[in-house]
Amino acid sequence: MHLKYFTLFIFSLVFSLLFSQKSESLVPKDAVTVFSINNFKLLQKISLDDLISYEFMEEIHQELFDGSTSGKSLKEAGIDFDQKLNVFSGRLNDCEISGFSFGIKNKEQLFTVFDDFYPVSYPKINGIEVYGSFVNSLIIKNEVALLIRVEPLIEQVNKVADSIWYARGNEIPFNNEDLEEETILSEEIFDEERENLFPVASFDPNEKNYNELKDSVQLVLQNKKLANILDELFNQNINLIASNRLFEKQLTHPVEAVFFLDNARNLKEPNELWYLQTFFPDINKDIDGLYDGNFILGDLSIIDNKVEFNIEVLYNENLGSIYQELSNSSFDSKVLKYIPESSTAYFTSNMNLREAYEKAFEVIMPLLEKKNDSEMAINLLTAELLNEFVDKDALFGTCKGSLFGFFNGIKKIKIKKIEYVYDENFNYIPQSTDADEDMPIFTFGFSIDRTDIPEKVFKHLERSNLKIVNMGNYWRYDNAILDAAPLYMISKNGLFLFTNDEDLAINHSQGYGDKSISHSNIKKAMNSNLIYASVDVGTSLTLFPVDLLGAKENQLIESLRGKTGIIELKTTKAKKKNANMQLVYSDFSDDQTGKHLLDLINAIYVASK
Amino acid sequence: MKKIIFIFFIPCLFIFQSCIEIIDDLTIHKDGSGVLKYTINLSASKVRVNSILALDSLDGAKVPSISEIKKKIALFKQTLALQKGITNVQITENYTDFIFKFECTFINVNLLQEGLQMSYSVISNDKSNVNSNFTWLYLDSKQLKRSVPELTTERLKKISQKDNELLKTGSYISITRFDHLIERFDNPLSKISKDKKALMLKTNIYSLKEKQSLLENTIYLISD
Repeated sequence: MHLKYFTLFIFSLVFSLLFSQKSESLVPKDAVTVFSINNFKLLQKISLDDLISYEFMEEIHQELFDGSTSGKSLKEAGIDFDQKLNVFSGRLNDCEISGFSFGIKNKEQLFTVFDDFYPVSYPKINGIEVYGSFVNSLIIKNEVALLIRVEPLIEQVNKVADSIWYARGNEIPFNNEDLEEETILSEEIFDEERENLFPVASFDPNEKNYNELKDSVQLVLQNKKLANILDELFNQNINLIASNRLFEKQLTHPVEAVFFLDNARNLKEPNELWYLQTFFPDINKDIDGLYDGNFILGDLSIIDNKVEFNIEVLYNENLGSIYQELSNSSFDSKVLKYIPESSTAYFTSNMNLREAYEKAFEVIMPLLEKKNDSEMAINLLTAELLNEFVDKDALFGTCKGSLFGFFNGIKKIKIKKIEYVYDENFNYIPQSTDADEDMPIFTFGFSIDRTDIPEKVFKHLERSNLKIVNMGNYWRYDNAILDAAPLYMISKNGLFLFTNDEDLAINHSQGYGDKSISHSNIKKAMNSNLIYASVDVGTSLTLFPVDLLGAKENQLIESLRGKTGIIELKTTKAKKKNANMQLVYSDFSDDQTGKHLLDLINAIYVASK
Repeated sequence: MKKIIFIFFIPCLFIFQSCIEIIDDLTIHKDGSGVLKYTINLSASKVRVNSILALDSLDGAKVPSISEIKKKIALFKQTLALQKGITNVQITENYTDFIFKFECTFINVNLLQEGLQMSYSVISNDKSNVNSNFTWLYLDSKQLKRSVPELTTERLKKISQKDNELLKTGSYISITRFDHLIERFDNPLSKISKDKKALMLKTNIYSLKEKQSLLENTIYLISD
């Protein structure tokens, strides 16, 4: 009898382990980027308000930023910390998806956080509970949940809405003859003139105007895509694990978190390679195959108060052959003596551009030659002629591929400003005065064999009207930086440098000598084949100017602003089918390891979006 | 070459403190006519202005090019010159130091205000401005009342909190000159000139944003 119960118990246990659905099985196959956090327990202490302030949680901000999370931690949200938290996103041809899946411990507690959701019926999908909110859907099956947002691309919505609108015999929906570009961009005017800009509602309340039609189309497309995803996940058991063995394998790694990026699909997103896609769609389509099999896989582990992110980049042999040539270069150690020890952020990059170019030409041209059309023939002819006629020795002798750069804090620079000086009767005259301004100091440099080429360029520029002056050891370009500060150009020791650091130009044109970066850092840079970078997060990113960088770079830097620690990036030599990188985040000023893990995850999420 | 330098060093920009100086200089003659001079001095912020001009957009708003700015200024000048009672419209534009000076003469303050309101509505492409309260000057033979136009106060209110620090470094100087001698004035922040014919009020733009009444003043004149 006992044996019978014991056998039944074992059978039930094995059955439940084998067949119970885990949170990771709810990641849709369309996900392009996935973060799967294994050691979810680390995050228990983190408040929900802190968690949702990360960009990777941005899609559900609206759900959670309604006061329901105030003062609560993840522990009180009914979440099962023994299961993984999987954050995913992806952009498809017709829509964007994003969300996360997780385990549930206490459904009642969960709905104290997700308190805006209402039940929705999906009769064709059995065994699941679906809840909807304004934009997101929450799907619960047994002990796991999926929070997902599906957003049809606006182009797709417009396309469908327009076709219905015109098929009904309607005319152009917008009366925007007098609308100027700045009017559209001015939110204030836009709000005030909204009624004139958009079609008015019909007299017949049953007939939709254009915007109502568009809303309906968006909703239908959204529901259709969501129904597809749910059907795949819960009826057909099609998910990312089943569709991609690399992701399945990645999930088995005994680390704190894993990262998965299907870069081939990422590159096919409408936003990427837009120029090529728009102007040379055929070329883009043909070289598309170059990125097949291009995946970026990462393991995040916490070792001795350090977060290590080990990345493996997988690619096909064609792309691999180009990367191999690119990384087939010996390190130019001369660059290191030009990086001062005081620098809080620097990078070195060592590439063989000549060999990579030759290989890319060899690999890509045959791919393009398969196309038989006149436009492609002209493009190929142009490429062939340039390849023949351009002096590659001169080109790659000028820029070989060894690059470096560093940020050396903030220094004072002198600028001229106009001040008005008033007399006793308040008459005023302008007066030019000196003013000190804080200027972030940057230096960029590269290895060069053909030092005669920039010399020729600057010699002729000096004779023209440009404010370029030969100062003997360096060239100075007055007011080059935003009409206020000089730029210095130095050609020494087989290196060419651009800098706004006067001290470097005047006193260190031969390098910083014993004030350059330490021996251990030199060793690290030399051992890191393709790229080495080191950033003191606390000092550099606080000072680093971001306001006027591109939106994405800005977001990336903002995601780490206010944090502490050192981030180091190391790479290995590219192999035939893969290359490895390591990002280490260390030397925290506190012991909030879970938070640092999230900081890094967030930065990687922002960078990979 | 300069374009490349821009790309490399554009990050330098954020660090510069923005600083703007605005001088509004109004002269009222005995017959009610006068001269308005308006100076915007961005020379202390020229690095930042240059960097912003190199961008396509900032905080989601389109950044105009210099040629677009020139067109708007020319349109303003042309429109104002056509307004009744306004003559000698002059605008000097200095795109090296970013100093802009505007000057015009007027027959009376009512026509000046109407002309400016109409011209502003045209360049801002916003017809609703025509109906807003644009009166900030009231003049009779013995006194002049100055305030801040409603349009300006509305604009100031819309400046975001994050720009407050920048506004604190900017100054607004309001000068009012008369042929008459000044008897007294209501705003204690005003300073009177040595010849007793001019008043100056100086504030920073942040304070003006927070309290628009800072520039309000009633100036009482000594009759002939």
